[in-house]
Amino acid sequence: MTVQPLVQMTSISKSFGGIVALENVDFQLFPGSVHALVGENGAGKSTLMKILAGVLQPDGGMIRKNGQIVRLASPREALDAGVSTVFQEHSVIANLSIAENMYLGKEPLAKFGVVDKALMERNARDTLRGLGLNLDPATLVGNLSIAERQFVEIARGISARADIVILDEPTAALNAADVDILNAQILALKREQKAVVYISHRVEEIFKICDTITVLKDGRNVDTVPASTIAPKQLIAMMVGRELSELFPPKLKRGDGDVVLSIDGLRLTPAATPCSIFLRRGEIVALAGLEGQGQHELVRSLVGRYAAHEGRVRISGRELALPLSANDGIRLMQSLGVSFVPEDRKIEGLFLDLSLAHNLTIGLHSQHFEMKPAGRHREVIANSIKSLSIKAARPSTPVGSLSGGNQQKVLLGRYLALGADILLIEEPTRGVDVGAKAEIYKLLRNYANAGRAVIVLSRETLELIGLCDRLYVIHDKHVVAEMPAEEATEHAILEAALHR
Amino acid sequence: MADMTKVSRIFLRSNSRYGLWTIPLLVATAGCAGLAASTGDFATWQNILNLVAQAAPLILVSIGQMIVILVRGLDLSVGSVVSLTTAILSLNAPVYLTVPAAILMAALVGLLNGISVTRFRVHPIIATLSMMGITQGVTMFIRPSAGGTVASEIVFLVSGQVLGVYMPVIWSIAAILLAWKIVHGSRFGLHLFAIGGGETAATFGIAEHRNILAAYILSSCFAAAAGIFLAGRIASGDPNIGMQYAVDSITAVALGGTQLAGGIGSVHGTIIGCALLALIANGMNLLNVSAFVQTIVKGLILLVVILLQPRKNIGL
Amino acid sequence: MTSRLHLLLRAALRIPPSFVVFVVLLATLWVLRPNMMNVAILGTFARQVVPLGIVVLGQLLVISSRSIDLSAGGIILLVNYLISSGLLYQWPLLPVVLLCLGVGLVVGVANGVLIGKRRASAVIVTLAVNIVLIGMVEYLANGKPPGDVPAYFRDLYNTRFWTVPAPVIFWVVLAGIMSVFLGASVFGRFVWSIGSNPISAHFSGVPVERTIVVAHMVSGLMSAVAALVQTSSIAVGSVRFGPELVMNSIAATILGGVVFGRPAEVWGPFFGVLCFALLFVVMTTMGVQEPGKLIVQGLIILLAAIFYGVRSKSN
Repeated sequence: MTVQPLVQMTSISKSFGGIVALENVDFQLFPGSVHALVGENGAGKSTLMKILAGVLQPDGGMIRKNGQIVRLASPREALDAGVSTVFQEHSVIANLSIAENMYLGKEPLAKFGVVDKALMERNARDTLRGLGLNLDPATLVGNLSIAERQFVEIARGISARADIVILDEPTAALNAADVDILNAQILALKREQKAVVYISHRVEEIFKICDTITVLKDGRNVDTVPASTIAPKQLIAMMVGRELSELFPPKLKRGDGDVVLSIDGLRLTPAATPCSIFLRRGEIVALAGLEGQGQHELVRSLVGRYAAHEGRVRISGRELALPLSANDGIRLMQSLGVSFVPEDRKIEGLFLDLSLAHNLTIGLHSQHFEMKPAGRHREVIANSIKSLSIKAARPSTPVGSLSGGNQQKVLLGRYLALGADILLIEEPTRGVDVGAKAEIYKLLRNYANAGRAVIVLSRETLELIGLCDRLYVIHDKHVVAEMPAEEATEHAILEAALHR
Repeated sequence: MADMTKVSRIFLRSNSRYGLWTIPLLVATAGCAGLAASTGDFATWQNILNLVAQAAPLILVSIGQMIVILVRGLDLSVGSVVSLTTAILSLNAPVYLTVPAAILMAALVGLLNGISVTRFRVHPIIATLSMMGITQGVTMFIRPSAGGTVASEIVFLVSGQVLGVYMPVIWSIAAILLAWKIVHGSRFGLHLFAIGGGETAATFGIAEHRNILAAYILSSCFAAAAGIFLAGRIASGDPNIGMQYAVDSITAVALGGTQLAGGIGSVHGTIIGCALLALIANGMNLLNVSAFVQTIVKGLILLVVILLQPRKNIGL
Repeated sequence: MTSRLHLLLRAALRIPPSFVVFVVLLATLWVLRPNMMNVAILGTFARQVVPLGIVVLGQLLVISSRSIDLSAGGIILLVNYLISSGLLYQWPLLPVVLLCLGVGLVVGVANGVLIGKRRASAVIVTLAVNIVLIGMVEYLANGKPPGDVPAYFRDLYNTRFWTVPAPVIFWVVLAGIMSVFLGASVFGRFVWSIGSNPISAHFSGVPVERTIVVAHMVSGLMSAVAALVQTSSIAVGSVRFGPELVMNSIAATILGGVVFGRPAEVWGPFFGVLCFALLFVVMTTMGVQEPGKLIVQGLIILLAAIFYGVRSKSN
């Protein structure tokens, strides 16, 4: 006899403004199992889970719960149907207390409709204890560390008494010891015959606790397999769609170029250990490590977007003291030939409602005084479209209507057009398809081969290993190791980060 | 994410979601002491009663304003709602018709504000600015210039006494208790803070639109209550009486430690803010400062308060 | 079929509402008062809204860079006071004009620095500055009725070229300059970028703070220019005007298709102002009183804003 699935999602489709995020995806959950949902960034994992959590509505397909068709029109309805979601730590609300965050939307009431604070805090304390945390539930979440916030979010998800618990990258902000506590909780949920969906980028964790793995790629099902029948390497090949190594352009063997950028005595926070970093001409250098350990802060401190405690930066003979001005940092660096490509192209990068031409040339305009006539830069636009092979109808097309890969290329194109010698780039391939990925890798490699240099950081460690010449491992706000890419493996990086 | 860091940075300083209300309290206390010491007229029962009666309408309007600000909004139409209420109450009709009519009209204004902001995604400033114009137009249609008579029941409600206690005191306390219960004691209040605190409230299963709508309706209703109070005090209708309340209420709310960026604020802070404004006006009157200079001082206070609340975003 | 309809609809949505409203109002007036349809009379109507039109030239700049300027009323009052108080009667025209423009510039820069550098809320800052300016004028005037405006202002205002009033020509030229400047200068690109996405603008290297300061500076300057025209038109000093002008400037800007975060465009708001010129005439001929005008004006802002809210959702 087969067990009836707890949840059955059938041919789910969803698109955002013409860009397909999910196409006929099927997904089944069984009680008492931990089900991993894997795929690259932009494969559609989060979209699928947001549909199950009632945050998004599918364009097509249906959801059955215990055999009955259900419509999850809002997070509230999903919760009532027994679906509880643990989002990433930044979804907790900073100006509410821990207890209020845990019970928000389902607050217990005392007499006269007053929120029963005492009961809420008592229950919250118990749940937190179960997670091995000794925090006062009345503390405002804004005062907690990132890891503690993530635990509040986890506590909220598992205290909801739902029979389906979705964990969306819960370990991104946690260290190894915290991950063990979380794993014990997941196994407890499994024993209670609940269904757990586990989204993670860390392949090792998946094999440690999951029973079943579903792979998504470009918004479609690749396969669903029992975890015991597959090896990590095969899983990665399934996610990427081909052997990973094919994606990356060959690296040239070269002698040591001269140092174009160096940072000395960098302390991101007053408590951090000082560290140093340098970048040679012709090199692509990666900042690797667990998420949220300071990679972003390090890069952003170079453009004034993060106020590092102290440090000295030397760029082509000029020496600057950190922290830089938050207001002028970007422009100062651009004048020194350093371009910064921000991570979130929709929020920090592009002008979605403005034309492709505007998006490509605004960097060039920024180099001029306000009163000067704005050049048309026709040849820059034409060259960028050609050399980056951007697929767009006209230069006047709004960038928002392009696909993710083309948007990313436009963003890159803007900074390449500045003719900078050094590129600082965050998440170069977030949410783009495999074809565009390979093209972007090639662009970056060609850029370095032309005698320039790149610092890159990414959540996807395999991408860093494949793309770069050299890696720095960042942990706890400082550099803990440096290794050439040939020696780097996911395991080695994790080891370097955690065992020092 | 951006909101998160913004909010947490504020906490590093005040460490509470009620905002920095202790400092204005200290300033107000010091101001009281100073005034009492410098002029004998301040610490008299008559003057303190005047003070309460002067501050009561502003307290009512400001509490409503604070509720809207909590959900990252702003209500510029409160002043015209105050005027509209006095205009309706001065119509020649029995109290049991005019009062419900006034409250219903106010609720309608709030409803339209809320629908524009939520359903049609109009910026709160634009939505409430245009409603301010429309409401003012309706008010001047009903009562082109000050006049009419307000029913004696309402006049008594404002200027009479019960058991030796003056009515303004009773009403102020009642309104404050009600507002406290709504904002700091109820599920709805908690949800207001949650909505103001970040963009993720919806993922917690909170109906954002409905709560924001309710906040705008509440704001208008509090303004209507202030209008009833004022109508009782002047015993007639005045289409321009509410004019200064939009700016004054925003000033009072900001003075009381509420963050105009939303998610942080309190009823008690707002009351302290109102008290501080009333004190300044009262003090300047007692010290014979010209009305024109008082206007300048008011504007400068608003400027200083807003400069003490720098934000991350530039613009509106 | 449906896709073509959809395309047509989208194209229609891209036209600023002011163009449509203008045509409708002009047609209404033509039906109601055919005898008014000549250059001299329409020119006189247009002349009445020239101060508004000039304020709008600044307002559209700040609104499209996601800010707002509510201080125009105060600037106009102050400039009017300076000219009519008698203090400057002995001065020749040029220094008076320069002084007035300087006042606008200084207030604009103050607004801009507080909003751009200190990052205070634009609504509150400009509201507060407005209150301070009004208080200052009231204090300086100290209840006395202001005096007359020097005659040369009045003469300039009444000059006509080929039956078109001089202020109207001045306004059109100013709008043309602004339009060309925004379309062709680096500054225009900065304003578009900040309007579209201030964070992206920062990461692109756009000097966001400086652009906001300059936008407010221009807005303050425009208010001062508008004040000069306004003062010439009424030929006497006044202690009360301005609030409805600020409201109308926002209304005309939004009606002209410039809302928070949309590229600054001059001719949409320009026709938005002309709509107001016709609207006042049409309403007066239809016997609508002051309250009715307020209501219509509020409705126009609200409906135009809702129109954009709905559109931004559908995109």
